Amino acid sequence: MAGFVDKLLNLDRRWLFLLVFIGVAVPIILPIGLPVTTTGSTRSAFEYIEALKPGDYVIISFDYGPSSAPENDPMAEGIMRQCFLKRIRVVILALYQLGGLQLASNSIAKVSAEFPNLKYGEDYVNLGYKDGAAAVMKRMGDDIVGAFPADVRGTPLAQIPMMKGLRSLRQVSVVVTVATGLIGEYWITQAHQQSGVPVIVGPTAVGAPKYYAYLNAGQLVGMLGGMKGAAEYEKLLAARYPELGRFYRSTRAFTATKGMDAQTVIHFIIILFILIGNVAFMSRRAAQKKAAAR
Amino acid sequence: MTPMPDIGTWVAALLTLFALSFLYKDNPLFRFTESMFAGVSLGYYVGTTLNQTLVPNLIKPLTHDFNQNWDLLVPGLLGLLLYMRYVPKTGWVARYALGIYVAYYIGLDFTRRIHGEVLPQLGRAIVPLSKLDSHTIFYSLVFAVGVFSVLIYFFFSKEQDAVTRRIARVGTWFLMVSFGAAFGFTVMGRVALLIGRLNFLILDWIYPLIGIR
Repeated sequence: MAGFVDKLLNLDRRWLFLLVFIGVAVPIILPIGLPVTTTGSTRSAFEYIEALKPGDYVIISFDYGPSSAPENDPMAEGIMRQCFLKRIRVVILALYQLGGLQLASNSIAKVSAEFPNLKYGEDYVNLGYKDGAAAVMKRMGDDIVGAFPADVRGTPLAQIPMMKGLRSLRQVSVVVTVATGLIGEYWITQAHQQSGVPVIVGPTAVGAPKYYAYLNAGQLVGMLGGMKGAAEYEKLLAARYPELGRFYRSTRAFTATKGMDAQTVIHFIIILFILIGNVAFMSRRAAQKKAAAR
Repeated sequence: MTPMPDIGTWVAALLTLFALSFLYKDNPLFRFTESMFAGVSLGYYVGTTLNQTLVPNLIKPLTHDFNQNWDLLVPGLLGLLLYMRYVPKTGWVARYALGIYVAYYIGLDFTRRIHGEVLPQLGRAIVPLSKLDSHTIFYSLVFAVGVFSVLIYFFFSKEQDAVTRRIARVGTWFLMVSFGAAFGFTVMGRVALLIGRLNFLILDWIYPLIGIR
């Protein structure tokens, strides 16, 4: 027994890496379809957008880069799909320098292709990237055109039909910031506090805990925490819109719901090894005490 | 017929494998990938700063309509002054630019922090218990005890006595629970990144390579 415990405690960590690798790869190759339960913060985000009317304005701010795309892409794309289905006007922008604009452009290209009846400039627009995050939001609070004089294609906002009536953040129904790092916080502490615009945040899992303080303080209308939050949103979308349900079930592309299979398997492996490690550690300590008492 | 992976997919897939090879042991392929990633990131950063910040916000306005935008020379010059630190004799000039930037961000951040963070969250911490249901009262009590005990834990202006030490100990339990939650979220986030990479390797590289749709 003591020999087995010592072997466990001295196990080469590369075996664990291999196990984690298999634990992620197998559910990708053979999806399990584990159930996803929804939380209040995701439901309130979903219902808030659901209650908007056609023609309302939603800003989706791409405040993340490729390093967190597996978590953030499904959130941004899920919310975009919901807005497009409801004919809500979507204003896309990026405030994250390292790849925010590229990811925004990729997501628009991907999702707008699913809605060929929607027109750029009438139903959605891409304002591009602007440096200075908090300063940009401050300007947008009074003057969106001042912050973004032209869209990503260089067309002045005055010439874009859907932007003609939009002057400031006060006219926007909700800002969705899909964020890594500090920019999501800026939307709450700068834009929301200055202009009162409601904010939904879609942070990475690493960043999610800090947003609970804002959620509890009523400064957020909802939150999608990491890949789990994105999977919850996909579930809510699939339940409300049968066409999206079919899409999420049939698409070959990566979705957060598929990712949650691997997440669950990995969590199981991690918990199992935490238990094994602790039991092995305690049994060795007990054996050492016993030997010392003799 | 399933299209074969293109050259971009091959490069991304091989670099992913090189990066992951560090988990087995350090090796030249990993170091090559690490150095290349650092170099490409810096190049990308410089490129986006030039093309998406300096050109549209400074250079274009100045060259297209100087009379309307001459005031942009001031921030432009301040930016240039920052680089004077590399000239030993005139390095002190950079401090003026730095001083203005620091003052600007203090001004912007001070109100943002107070009105956007401190006051709303302080307001949330003060809840009239008389107007709430039993579930919310319990939740608010836990919240209040947590805030109070953690504040006592971080109160260093007076040496702790027997009472405050006990309260601070409660605070450490609240802190440990919050660190545990944060760690759990961090693990979930890192695993999500691995899922993203393996998803790419399997679905975008291996499947087309072996002819699976």
